[in-house]
Amino acid sequence: MTDPIDPQAPEAPEAPAGPYVYDYMAAPNRQVVLPKTVPLPSLRTYQAEVAAAAAADEAKWQKQLADFEVAKAKAEAEGKDAPKPPVRAVPRKDDNDLKTPWPTEAQDADLLKLQELLGGQVEEVFEQAGERVCQVKKEAILEALKVCRDEPSLKYEMLADQSATHYPAAKDFAFSIVYHLTSVSRSRRLRLRILVPEGFVPESACPLYPSANWMEREIYDMLGIRFANHPDMTRILCPEDWEGYPLRKEYPTVGLGQRDIDFRDDRGGVLNRLAMEKAGQMGINLKQPKAD
Amino acid sequence: MGVNSPTALEHVLITTKVEKVINWARASSVWPMTFGLACCAIEMMAAGASRFDFDRFGAGIFRATPRQSDLMIVAGTVTYKMAPVIKKLYDQMPEPKWVIAMGSCATAGGPFDSYHTIQGVDKVIPVDVFIPGCPPRPESLIYGFLKLQDKIMTSSIADRYKEIFEEVG
Repeated sequence: MTDPIDPQAPEAPEAPAGPYVYDYMAAPNRQVVLPKTVPLPSLRTYQAEVAAAAAADEAKWQKQLADFEVAKAKAEAEGKDAPKPPVRAVPRKDDNDLKTPWPTEAQDADLLKLQELLGGQVEEVFEQAGERVCQVKKEAILEALKVCRDEPSLKYEMLADQSATHYPAAKDFAFSIVYHLTSVSRSRRLRLRILVPEGFVPESACPLYPSANWMEREIYDMLGIRFANHPDMTRILCPEDWEGYPLRKEYPTVGLGQRDIDFRDDRGGVLNRLAMEKAGQMGINLKQPKAD
Repeated sequence: MGVNSPTALEHVLITTKVEKVINWARASSVWPMTFGLACCAIEMMAAGASRFDFDRFGAGIFRATPRQSDLMIVAGTVTYKMAPVIKKLYDQMPEPKWVIAMGSCATAGGPFDSYHTIQGVDKVIPVDVFIPGCPPRPESLIYGFLKLQDKIMTSSIADRYKEIFEEVG
């Protein structure tokens, strides 16, 4: 951009006359700005956050106390009245406040049973808003699904949904894949979760749950996570020749130019054919570029 | 025939241009294609049903094949995946053919400023009448169709191929 106040700046060339053409490449929504993502729900992260907030609060209180001591000593030396001692702020309690349901320690029998059966494969279990979440190691997802399906005390017969989310700001993983299991016979739901880095190929759930077929294809289509041992790992929503994975956060909203098609340039080849015929009658060869 | 002296024959005969008769015939029996892409198609169906009765204007016979259709009402969002299909259907329609872009999606992409939505069906096929609205009421569709009838009545056969004539020279 040239500065209009600067007399040395050259004049901007005039815009070419003609129909207004929207420049998609320069459009503001073409610029990729990574959106803020909701943090991954996690008991460990929540506990760390709470501990950090408590430590910061304590440090603030200690600083207030130290400042008070300094001010008190100064006032005594100058013979003035002592300053008021500080009062520690108590966080306001409002029972009517609508807060996010925080993750809590797992109390549910299903989660404890899973933890017992899977042992070291479980990374984290917690409950949040009455929902059971179990995060397992990414290599052990098939084993965990098998336990959930076949264990008589669990009996999660149905894979109701399977989805994935991109977390571009996370350090040790790129995607979370979530398996929503439903037990029809026991009227219960359970959420299994794995965190996978970029390029990791998790095992497909298709051998255990046939309903995973299309859902894993959708995950591959939208986020580019390939699944091993999948019967047909192809795109399901986008066309076969699509470039990029639209639900990744770095994907531009307007796409990579796929929508800027123009079929009207050549009306079914009519214009081109007629022009060629006419030029042929006039002895002009349009197919070859003219030599200088 | 004696033009200057009115006779009894002039009360029976009507003199006109062939082009005008052809236009009148074309405008009075525009057969749309049975083709809906999204929620605008519901309004299109309502326009064709008994309350609004599209058939009053000769456009009530929705044909099930592009080979028998004169008018394509693009009623809905045009996605990238659908665009080649629309182009193919349009190419399959015999001349003369007209296109109505119904609703803001078919006109300019609508609310879907997104990677998969074509920003207006006029990027794919030539459009005669644009109808705004989300979705337009059946009255809007009927008004747009009446505008199309006006266009057909005032068009000349040579004008339709003017672009090609000018291009070839």
